[in-house]
Amino acid sequence: MPDVIDRYRDYRTRRFLKYERTWAASLPGWRPQRRRRLLVGLLAATFTAMFAISVLCAVGIQWAPVLWLPACAVFFPLWIALQIVSGRQGDAPEAALDEFEIAQRDSARSVGLTVTQYLMLIPIFYLVFGSVLTGGTDENMAYAGGLMAVTMLLVGGCTPAMLLGWSRPDPMPED
Amino acid sequence: MSPVRRGESLPIHNRIGVLRAERGMSRAQLAALVDVNPQTVGALERGDHYPSLDLAFRICDVFGLPVEAVFARQAFTPLSAELYPRKP
Repeated sequence: MPDVIDRYRDYRTRRFLKYERTWAASLPGWRPQRRRRLLVGLLAATFTAMFAISVLCAVGIQWAPVLWLPACAVFFPLWIALQIVSGRQGDAPEAALDEFEIAQRDSARSVGLTVTQYLMLIPIFYLVFGSVLTGGTDENMAYAGGLMAVTMLLVGGCTPAMLLGWSRPDPMPED
Repeated sequence: MSPVRRGESLPIHNRIGVLRAERGMSRAQLAALVDVNPQTVGALERGDHYPSLDLAFRICDVFGLPVEAVFARQAFTPLSAELYPRKP
């Protein structure tokens, strides 16, 4: 069994390094820290909008679910751009990173896990208490709860890359 | 700075920047020789990251110096002052 795991790790590392070579020079204008922070801010705004849409769904506004499509249309390009300019350090395999990068990645992942755990309590309590209070008859509640859960998972899943994209300094100029 | 699980956090100073400059070596060149990202060399020079023993030995090998000549608990004084101390 360890051989299978080792082979998968090697495959993941090779795939990551191939991806890195392909995208290493892409979006140069978005690589400075100031621009990366702009991407992180826009992603945070998108998540806020997604949560707001789920709340609109919860109160029964009929056209609210349609807003989810433009939110996704904004999210995916922002997320892909952030992944490219931050070198996908948030989900990089260990063999592709040095010790400082591993320490940064693990720290960001730890925060991401904590954020996910706490944020997931929002849809969980909403669905648990809401279903009890309404006797499980509110269809909007199930749909809105699903959207809230997806939003919170996206926030938690993106948090490591957002933290690294935000905090990683620009390369120091040579003397 | 690397996280410390417990106990007092003691600094580890280094002379990497000085030794690199002395040899006309860029961060990217040193990074390639010790197999890390150039940004990691920057983090070491800024004191944002304390190296593992393995990385410290690799860095010392590049400069051909013992560990105590590159890393220390106390801040380093300028090399010139050590070589040519002022006479009282």
